Amino acid sequence: MNCLDFRRRVGAEPRSRDPELLAHRDSCRDGCAAFWQRAQRFEDDLEAGMAIPVPDGLADRILLAQATGERRTQIGRRRAWMAMAASVLIAFAGVGMLWRYTDQHSLEAMAVAHMPGEMDALALTRPMTDDDVAAGFIGRATQLKGPAPAMVTYVHDCVVGQYPVVHAVTRMDDEPVVALYMPGKMDGKPGTFHRDGWDGREVQLRGGTLLLLAQGPSHKAMDTAERGWRAAIDGSNLTVSL
Amino acid sequence: MPKPPVHEDVNPKQRQYEAMVRALSADLYRFAWWLTRSESVAQDLVQETFLRAWKNLDALRDAESTKSWLFTILRREHARLYERKRLEVVELDDNIAEDAAFASPERSSDAAQVRDAIGRLPDKYREPLAMQVLAGMSADEIAASTGQKPGAVMTQLFRARQQLKRLLGGRAAAEGSRT
Repeated sequence: MNCLDFRRRVGAEPRSRDPELLAHRDSCRDGCAAFWQRAQRFEDDLEAGMAIPVPDGLADRILLAQATGERRTQIGRRRAWMAMAASVLIAFAGVGMLWRYTDQHSLEAMAVAHMPGEMDALALTRPMTDDDVAAGFIGRATQLKGPAPAMVTYVHDCVVGQYPVVHAVTRMDDEPVVALYMPGKMDGKPGTFHRDGWDGREVQLRGGTLLLLAQGPSHKAMDTAERGWRAAIDGSNLTVSL
Repeated sequence: MPKPPVHEDVNPKQRQYEAMVRALSADLYRFAWWLTRSESVAQDLVQETFLRAWKNLDALRDAESTKSWLFTILRREHARLYERKRLEVVELDDNIAEDAAFASPERSSDAAQVRDAIGRLPDKYREPLAMQVLAGMSADEIAASTGQKPGAVMTQLFRARQQLKRLLGGRAAAEGSRT
């Protein structure tokens, strides 16, 4: 390194501790050491000049701003989570209420809910005549197309939910089976169910829906009742649906 | 049983951040002040810089480069602020003669005069000078931070000092006997 390089370098980086630079300073006999000394003093002044006073409490204010911002972020995040949790809860509650409403307004629920006021009808044992049975159906604008099932002990027109029904009871081997026929209801969902101690069977007939209910019945009793009512209402002695 | 100190509950990131703020906010403020020459804007800039640093603290791998990292963030924040506000900046004549490039630097004990002279430097000289003097950044680091070549930064640093000496020249001549 020559003197020109040295002074250029010191002019740009006076605090450099580059060994090559320091070696030239220590070995040069052309005043580079004095040049370096002056550069250091000038740098001291430069540093002092640049060290303008710092406002009191600057670091504390910066930390406070960060802590406040962080707290806001955390609160925002917590609120978002709570909102999400509340939304999920509301959605579950909504679905639950909808399910409950739908369930309570299902045909099977309404049929079972109708039964407590009709328990006496299950105890009747005296068979009705075919004419009496047919007359019961005429009350609901339904003409029986076949013979009434054997051992019909009760026929009455009722209302289940919003549906006008013919409420009948048949008895076979001392097992009463309730038949609720809803003329004109064509959107029945054929199947069986068990609800509140009642076994049920929903059957779609040509002119309406038939719902059979019994407490602990045998398959045979339900099958016989279905076959009997299907033959009486539809006029055909088809096999049972289930 | 004595209660443990509160700071034990503070997470390491928060501790690192607090140490960083306490150690470097003064130098960062000075740098901001030299960029803006406004106490309030400088404080805002430092605040903004540290908030940005907090968000990106995980990106800081080398603790030794913390200072230059913060200075770079502040410089960018300042550029953003400048873009937003279009602050009026008066550039001084940059064509001061360089014939005394190797004249002896003179000692100035009057910080106010030095400050005034630094304030009269063009931005392109004052900024790298402040990064070097306040942050202790090397020419290579300044070059990396400002997107220039190291050689260009060396020239700016050299010329910055030469202009300062010239601006302080009257008094420097009077103090010449001291050197």
